Amino acid sequence: MKKKLLIIPPLLFLLILLTFFYLLIIERNPSEIPSNLLDKSVPNFETESLLKKERFISSKEFGKEIMLVNFFATWCLPCRDEHIYIKRFSDEKGIRVIGINYKDNPKKATQWLKDMGNPYSNVPIDKYGKIAIDWGVYGIPETFIISSEGIIKYRHVGSVTKKIYKKINLLIKEIE
Amino acid sequence: MIKKTFIIFLSICLIQFFSNNSYAVEPNEILENQKQEFRARNISKNIRCMICQNQSIDESSAPLAKDLRILIRNKIKDGKKDEEIYKFLTDRYGDFILLKPSFKLNTLALWLLPFVFVLIGIFIVFFHNKKSKKI
Repeated sequence: MKKKLLIIPPLLFLLILLTFFYLLIIERNPSEIPSNLLDKSVPNFETESLLKKERFISSKEFGKEIMLVNFFATWCLPCRDEHIYIKRFSDEKGIRVIGINYKDNPKKATQWLKDMGNPYSNVPIDKYGKIAIDWGVYGIPETFIISSEGIIKYRHVGSVTKKIYKKINLLIKEIE
Repeated sequence: MIKKTFIIFLSICLIQFFSNNSYAVEPNEILENQKQEFRARNISKNIRCMICQNQSIDESSAPLAKDLRILIRNKIKDGKKDEEIYKFLTDRYGDFILLKPSFKLNTLALWLLPFVFVLIGIFIVFFHNKKSKKI
């Protein structure tokens, strides 16, 4: 009986080792925090638009089709890196992308979009970062998938890479 | 020589013990009403900086931490209760934003497992002693 019990500690130890090993090899970013807004409605907000004269009213924009929301700024280098993929979403896939301009200089942002190309159907201005807080944003760039019912389905923190671009496309197909 | 080293060591310890942590709160953020400022500081100490993750927003100089400190102060000025402010933040950032996890069904293991392990430990020691005495 005692001998049988002795096997438990090494077994437990092996189990712990395997768990840690598994967590090491799977691809995950331990500092990424899951969004608390998943499967919830888009936060309501109203603000100026960078490109249009009329104000941006969220309730009028969301809830008609699947859309992407991308928080960006000209001072954010990873935003520059992902821009090519954000453009591919709108140019190749025909997805509407709302670009929320986070704590930026409007003149610089307008010029930036002229130089790099504008993938956004509308660019609401988040001058003081208050809209970002309502979206639980903590590090731009951040990209959200919004369903046609206006529900947040996915959030990616950081630059959209080729891999993430493919992942978002797959997710959009699933949601459709 | 040893005495001198001891005195230097002791003074360093005392300075460390009595000195406050360095806070990131900027002078223009501080509220005039001392009671309200005290509440804001208490809340800020319990809120995690989402960028630095192991610092509270009271200690962090990250821009988002500053935004949240100002937001908390504005909410206090608007007459919001502490619970309402905590709820506002956890609604957006989840429980992760609280440095001290709340006592909920999904955090039950986190809170209770240490006690379970202590009980198991006591049981093992007790059991072991009883056996040894017999021999």
